[in-house]
Amino acid sequence: MRAVTRPILIVVMLALLLAPLGLPPFAMTLLTEALILGLFAMSLDLMVGYTRLISFGHAAAYGMGAYACGWMLLHTGMPLLFAVFAAALLTGVIAIAVGWMCTLATGISFSMLTLAFAQLLYAISFKWTSVTGGSDGLAGIPRTSGPLGFAALSGKSGFYYFVLACLVGGFLVCFALVRSPFGAVLRGIRENEAKTTALGYNTRLYKIAVVATSYALGGLAGALYAPFAGFANTELLFWLLSGQALIMVIVGGAGTLVGPILGAAFFMLMEHQLSSLTEAWALYFGLIFIAFVLFAPQGIWGLATAWLRRDAKAS
Amino acid sequence: MALLELEGVTRRFGALVALDQVAMAVEEGEVRAVIGPNGAGKTTLFNVITGTVKPSAGTIRFAGESIGGQPSHHVCRLGLSRTFQITALFPEMSARENARLAAQARHARRWQPFGGAGVFRQAAALADAALEQLGLTSIGDTPAGLLSHGDQRLLEVAMAMAQQPRVLLLDEPTQGLSVEETAQAVDTLARFLQASRMTVLLVEHDMEVVFRLAHRITVLHRGAVIADSTPDAVKADPAVQDAYLGGFA
Repeated sequence: MRAVTRPILIVVMLALLLAPLGLPPFAMTLLTEALILGLFAMSLDLMVGYTRLISFGHAAAYGMGAYACGWMLLHTGMPLLFAVFAAALLTGVIAIAVGWMCTLATGISFSMLTLAFAQLLYAISFKWTSVTGGSDGLAGIPRTSGPLGFAALSGKSGFYYFVLACLVGGFLVCFALVRSPFGAVLRGIRENEAKTTALGYNTRLYKIAVVATSYALGGLAGALYAPFAGFANTELLFWLLSGQALIMVIVGGAGTLVGPILGAAFFMLMEHQLSSLTEAWALYFGLIFIAFVLFAPQGIWGLATAWLRRDAKAS
Repeated sequence: MALLELEGVTRRFGALVALDQVAMAVEEGEVRAVIGPNGAGKTTLFNVITGTVKPSAGTIRFAGESIGGQPSHHVCRLGLSRTFQITALFPEMSARENARLAAQARHARRWQPFGGAGVFRQAAALADAALEQLGLTSIGDTPAGLLSHGDQRLLEVAMAMAQQPRVLLLDEPTQGLSVEETAQAVDTLARFLQASRMTVLLVEHDMEVVFRLAHRITVLHRGAVIADSTPDAVKADPAVQDAYLGGFA
C-alpha cells in the first residue's frame, strides 16, 4: 500500500508547499483553516481510529489550546511560536487528568465523560470572564513576532507555512506512534481490551497516554486557530465542534491518519459549497455522512487506496 | 517447595460461596487438572489466581511470593499466562501478530512510542518459536479471526507460551470443539506438553482429555476440594463418582 500512496502524498505535499504562489488570498485563508481542522481531526483519529476510544468532547482540546494561546498572546507578549507550543503542552498536561478520569469508564460511559468534561469547560468559558472574556470571547489576538525579532510567521504566507509544518510534524509523530510497540498495544486495546490486560499490559496507562497525546495535538490545532482567526470564543468548546470532528474522522477514514485530514478538507469544502446553495446545508451533509457510514465505512481514504490498489494490480 | 501454592482460598459472591477453603500445591513440571461439575468454581479459581477476581480470604503464593489480590497485569508479568474458556484473540491481526503482541508484553521496552524495530524483532522470534511448538507455523499469516476453531484454541496456547511463562493456565482448551477437532488438538497439546515440560494448571470438562494430559487431578465440588490425587485414584474414588463422574470410570 505504501508504494501506491507515496507518490500521491509527495504530489500533494508539493502542491501545498507551492500553494501560496498561485492561490488568491481568500483561497489561502480557506486552505489554512482546512489544514488546522485537518490537524484537529487527525489528533482525534489516534483515539477513535487506533484505540477505539470514542470521544464526544474533542472540542475541549481545541478550545483549551485556542484560549490558552490567545490569552498568552494578549497578556504576556510571548511570541507566536512559543505561545502555540506552550498552549499545546498545557492542553496535553491537563488531558492527563482528563484521561485519568474518563478511563475510569469504558465504552459509551467513556464517551459521555469526555462530553461532560468538554461541556464543563464550555460553561467555564462563559463564567470565568476575567480570563476568557465570557460570551464575547477573546478578540484582537495578535500574531506577536519573534523569537529574536523573527517576523516571518506573522504574515499570511508565513503563518500558512507554520500551520503546514505543524500538520506535517503532527502527522509524523502520530505515524511513528502507531507503528511503534506502543501503537501495537493500542491496536490490541482496540481489538480486545480484556485480552490485552490479560497479556500483562496495564491498558489504562496506555489509554491515558493516548488521550494526552491526542489532546496535545488537538490543542496545537486550537492554538493555531486563535492567532489565525484573531479570536477565541465559546463555540470552540461547544459539542457541535466535537461532533463535526468525529464526522471528519469517519468520513475521511478512521485509523488512517491521512483520511481525517481529507475528511476535514472535505467537510470545509462541503460547508462552503453547500451553504452557498442552500441554508439547509447541514441537512445535506448529514445525508452524505449517513451514506458514508452505511456504504463506505472505510471512508474517503479507504475508498481511494482500495481503488488505487486495484488499479496497480490491473496494470 | 511447590511453584504455585493455595491455602484456604475463599471467594464469596454475596451469599454464594464460589470457592471454599481451597488448598492445593502445584509442583514445577506438573500438569495439574482441575475438574468438577458446572458451577463448581473452576473458572473462579483461575480468575482468583490470575488476579481478575480478588480472593475474599486465603493466600496464593507463586514461587514463594504472595500474589493474592494483585492486579492481573502484574501477576501475568511474574510468569503466569492464561488462556480463556471463551476464545479471546485479536481477530484482525495475523496469528503471528497475536503471538508477537503477547511476547511484547514481557519486553522491558514494550511501551516504546517510536521506532521499536528491536522490540518487534525479539518479540517476533519468541512468537515464531511458540507457533512452532504448537504446530501453527503454516498459518502464521492468517488473520486470527479466520482460523478454524481448533487452531484458534491452539493459538491462544501459543500466545501464552510466547510469554515464556513459568506456569501455564489453560481454561478448557478444547471447549466448543467437535470430536475430531478435540482429538487433533489434544494430540498436539500432549506432544507439546511432553516436549516442553511446562508447569500447567488445566481446567477441562472432557474427562478423556483430562485423563490423557494430567499428572494429577484436583476435584472441586461446590467450591470445595473433595479429592486431590493421581488420575487412577481419582477415577476410583467413590465420592468423586457420586459428585461428578456419573459412572464414567
